Amino acid sequence: MDIIETKHDSYSVFKLTGRLDSNTSMGFEQQLFASIDSGARRLIIDFEGLDYISSAGLRVILKATKNLKTAQGKLVLCAMQDYVKEVFEISGFDSFLPIESSLEAAVTRL
Amino acid sequence: MTTISFELDTKLAALDVLCEQLEHFCAATGIPKKQKFEINLALDELFTNILSHGFRDARPHRIQISVSHAPRVVTIVIRDDGIPFNPLKAPAPELKCPFDDRKVGGLGIHLIRSYIDEMDYERCGRHNVLTLRKFLKN
Repeated sequence: MDIIETKHDSYSVFKLTGRLDSNTSMGFEQQLFASIDSGARRLIIDFEGLDYISSAGLRVILKATKNLKTAQGKLVLCAMQDYVKEVFEISGFDSFLPIESSLEAAVTRL
Repeated sequence: MTTISFELDTKLAALDVLCEQLEHFCAATGIPKKQKFEINLALDELFTNILSHGFRDARPHRIQISVSHAPRVVTIVIRDDGIPFNPLKAPAPELKCPFDDRKVGGLGIHLIRSYIDEMDYERCGRHNVLTLRKFLKN
């Protein structure tokens, strides 16, 4: 999986490409939390290029959501393929995580 | 009927092998992308579960998988020599609890149950044998 982090003035975007599974989730967790630890509070994860997610990926996203809630930050997800979005819905994650259809909408939602 | 059989090493990098095998299988049988994703996810969750909980020794193990396609049904058999574990008896996760109490434990099994239509578990000698069936709707 490729992870590209882009820092803007008031938020950061993580663009994921490939597969987020048990094999790749640890690298993603390290990069995401390095950003949070260095002070990032408003984050967007762009799923447009993501083909696959398993519960290992959900675990990292739940952990980041809890962490950012404590720090009074915000996490918005965007541009998921339909079947990836369904994993979030089946898991009930759509009840506490904003999921937008595009990056532009996610920036507005932050 | 089209069948593939393969073995996976008990390490996470084997998830890439699983993905490649399913790519070939779905290309050969015409299984669409969404169903391929669902089959991959169910197998991934079972495989990582076996890796995390199945073995109490440091010996190398192999996990045997076969996937068969007949009209309107995909049948998957997973066989491992780990400790007895019946995923059908695993508790369902709490999905409706307040956000602060949400845990990820059990989500893998919940996803498998959501995407797979039938599951049978058998302990055969020293092996767990799990058979999954997914019906392909038109």
